Parts: sequence; structure tokens; C-alpha cells
Amino acid sequence: MADLMDATEAARAGITSRRAVLRGAAAAGAAGVAAAALAGAAFPAAAGASTAKSPGQDRAADHDEPTEPAETIVLHVRDAAAGEIDVFRGTTVTRLHDPALARQIIRAAG
Amino acid sequence: MSSHREAPEISQDPVADSTDLYAFVSPDRPRTVTLIGNYVPLQEPAGGPNFYEFGDDVLYEIHIDTEGRSEPNITYQFRFTTELDDRNTFLYNTAPITSLSSPAWNRKQFYSVTRVENGRSRRLARKLACPPCNIGPLSTPDYATKLARPAVHTLDGGTRVFAGQRAEGFYVDLGSIFDLADLRPFQNYQVFAKAHGFKAAPGVNATKYLNVHSIALQVPISEITARRRPVIGVWTTASRQRARILNDDTGEWHCSGPWAQISRLGNPLFNEVLVPISRKDYWNHQPPAHDKQFARDVARPELAGLLPVLYPGVFPNLAKLDARKTARADLEAILLTGIPKGIIKGFTNYTGPVQSDLLRLNTAIAPAKKPSIFGLLGGDAAGFPNGRRVFDDVVSIELRAIAGVTYKLIDPKYTVDAAAKILTDGLTPADLGTPYLTRFPYLGVPYDGYHHPS
Repeated sequence: MADLMDATEAARAGITSRRAVLRGAAAAGAAGVAAAALAGAAFPAAAGASTAKSPGQDRAADHDEPTEPAETIVLHVRDAAAGEIDVFRGTTVTRLHDPALARQIIRAAG
Repeated sequence: MSSHREAPEISQDPVADSTDLYAFVSPDRPRTVTLIGNYVPLQEPAGGPNFYEFGDDVLYEIHIDTEGRSEPNITYQFRFTTELDDRNTFLYNTAPITSLSSPAWNRKQFYSVTRVENGRSRRLARKLACPPCNIGPLSTPDYATKLARPAVHTLDGGTRVFAGQRAEGFYVDLGSIFDLADLRPFQNYQVFAKAHGFKAAPGVNATKYLNVHSIALQVPISEITARRRPVIGVWTTASRQRARILNDDTGEWHCSGPWAQISRLGNPLFNEVLVPISRKDYWNHQPPAHDKQFARDVARPELAGLLPVLYPGVFPNLAKLDARKTARADLEAILLTGIPKGIIKGFTNYTGPVQSDLLRLNTAIAPAKKPSIFGLLGGDAAGFPNGRRVFDDVVSIELRAIAGVTYKLIDPKYTVDAAAKILTDGLTPADLGTPYLTRFPYLGVPYDGYHHPS
């Protein structure tokens, strides 16, 4: 993926979660939705994070196959004004509450 | 159709489109129940070069409520993986496929089965082989014996499982029914057909010579019932992960996030015929336990109001029932709670007061020696709406019920219209292109693409 960050590249660079998010978002060039492929980024450590599961998620959580060859993480700026960002990874979604990050993503997306 | 392409959104996503659900005490192994969920509707057998398969990115589930709360006490999950042996050929197979491990078969699909009971998961099997699609006599010779039968896998405890292509077993005159509810055997009475001078005619099976993909389980009754509760509620769902990104370098989709339900099915025709088109997609996202919000669509079905209008003078008593705005407690019981004890002598499939679209099966009722395709309406308590067998004429049963036949269960003084008792789209299992099987997985051998269409 030419315009998404490579997982190895991100890990090697030791990029913080926010920088990784921004770089992925800027490259993706999407307004409102940012996507990045990362490995081990600690998104829940960002301001005001909470991980949620959808109904039925408990049933499916143990299901580990088939796995993605390279893990995909997708960010959705759900509400820019409130700073709500959903981070989709594996079979979970984490809701970030970070208005500054949301603003930066929107700016980066043009 | 039963639930083929029944909602706008899922009609765009065939691999996740649940089309039919069956649940019945297995006639040849009466200590077991057979559960079948069908997907990928309306397959033309000549589907090359890319033949039909399950979605690797879809979570397929069959849920069982054993305690009458309309929540899943037991769930069977199915995940599929497709493997390509030779990346340098455009062919599905390069020679006759003579076994499930044939090196000539290039694109194979495998699956895992997980049982979740009250939140605890247990993997029952992994890398079980699906059969190939039935391509034709050169590519898939001896399909039934060499390819389909070996794809019936036996798991620990005697559970059997099959996932793969089958002949469509649901018969329906789709072309007529969705042409303003025209029923060919009665079209000489239908207001628009009459104007065209149409005479009464036999039904035409729109699904004849089409295939479908089935996930079939045969499970000991003791493994899917709670103690002293023989009635179970069954439904099937398909889910996708919430986020999907297209890798524009490879053309592949990458998925992440929690699973979100996008298709479900309990009783045949529920979402298709009862739920308004504006809410069909929403219905597909909802769990059955939330179905109270659709109870009005069951209690006042639009079709019950249309029949007297489209067939003037044929349903006078139904018209009066409609005019009184009578809530159809009969349909609510059949479709949303099950039929309580005392309504039909010796029969119940009541699960409890929670209104939910479940296929309810009383597993204590033995298979019928002489089954009726009209199920309970035909005096056969082993058939729909007590679960559903592959041959049950659910179209006629539901048409008759909506036309008022079952309202007599609520009001013994109600006079059922003569036409309601014989309402049908004019089809029987004789209108299939191939017979059902007498053993698991019961649905017929899929039509091959060489001979169909002929």
C-alpha cells in the first residue's frame, strides 16, 4: 500500500500513536476517515480512550481465524467537534476522545 | 422468496444473504435435530470461471435459544478460508476433480466450526473441506458420491456438519407473486389479471435449476436443549466487520473492528413480506429479542389488507376482519412467541412471552410417518411452524394463515373464507428439478453447469 504506513516501518521508527495516526491520515488523504496499517500502536493510551464491543462480540472474540496477513487499523473521525475517533483493530473498536487529534487529522486530510 | 434478496442492503451482498433456515427432528436419526442455513441465493449452475463460495470475511452463525428468553444460549459459528493452489492458471480446476484433495482442483474452501455456549467458546473442528461446486460431468464426475458425500464430516459426539453447494429446495412462484400478488391458480379472480384475460394456471417454480450454499448441522437433541425444555428457538445470522478498506495496490479488501450483524433469518418470509421496505435493512441489524418493535407488522399484515382488494369478493370475511382493525393474535403467536398449550390439542412450541422472530421447534415431537407439506395446517405437527422441513410448503402455509385460516384458533366463531383454505401459488416439491435426499444434508445434489440451463 503505497499511501499507507507500513507496519514494519512504524515499529522500526518507534512512532508514537498520535504521530502514527497523523502520518497515516495525511497519506490517506481522506476527509473524516483516516486509515493506517500499524503494528502494536497503543491507541488506548491516547486521551480518553475506551474499548467497546458490539453485541455478539463476546461470542466472536475467540475466533482467531482466518487472520489478516497484515493487521489493518482503521480510524473513523466520528464527531470532529467532540473529538470522537473510533479506532478499528482486530475485532474491537476503541473510542478516543481527543479533540486536538481530531482537528489535526481533519487538517491533515485537507 | 423466503428471504432471498429480501432487503435492499443485503440484496447487494449475496455471500452474506441468509435465504432459508430449516430446523427439524431428523427423520432417519430421530435423536438428532438438523439445522440448515442457506446463503448465496439464485446461483446459476453455469457460474464459471469463478464459481460460488462462502465469504471468507463473513461470520456465519446459527443460534439456539434453549431457555425462552430469545437470547442465544448456544451458537455455532462458521468461518471460511479459501486456498489457491496454483496462482498461474485462470482455471478453477485443470482436470477432473475426483476427490476433495484432488490436485486438479485449484480453488478450495475450508471452514472451522466453533460452539459457543453461554459465552464460552469451544472449537469443534478446523479445516473441514467444502465440496467444489458442481461444474459438469467432465470436471466433477461422480459428484454425489465422490465429492458431496465425503464433505459430510462427523465431529466428536456424533454431530455431523456439511457446508457447500446444494440444489435450491425452496419452491416459489416468484415471478407471479411479486407481480401484484398474482397467484396463478386463482388469477382468474385477481383484479388486474382478470382485466388481462388471464386464466387460472399452474404455478411456475422460479428457483428450479438454481443452486444455493448450505451450512448444515445435525446435532444430538440432548446437546441443544435445556433440561425439561424440549422447545428451542433457532435463527441464523451473518456478520461483517465494521471497517473495510480497499488496498488499491492489490485490489484486496482488509477488514477490522467488531462483527456487526447484517443479515438474519428465523421464520420464512418474515422480513420479506411483513416488514415495510423502509425498515428491512434495520430489521436485519436487530437481534430477535428486540422484535417487539415489529409486532405491529405481524398483527396488522399489509398483505391481509391487500388480498380482499386484489381478489374482489373472494375474501369477504377477511375483509371484515381487516375493517375491524383486528389484531391478528394468531399470527403473533405463530411467528413471535410460538403456540401456547391448549390452542391445538397436544401441541405447543411456545418459548415464552418475549416477542421474537424465531423458528420454534418442539424437539419432543417425532418425525411424521406420513408428512404433509402443509405442516401443522395439514395436521402434521412435525412440520412448519413447528420448525421447518426442507419440503414444507411455507408459501402456501403463510398465505393461508395471513388469509385468516389460523384466526379461527383465536375466535372459533370466525368463518374462514373458502378460498383461504386452499390458497396456494400452485407449487409442490414435484416442481423441483431434483429430489430432496432422504439423509443428511437432505437438500438435493446441486445442478451442474453443463446441463443447466439446458
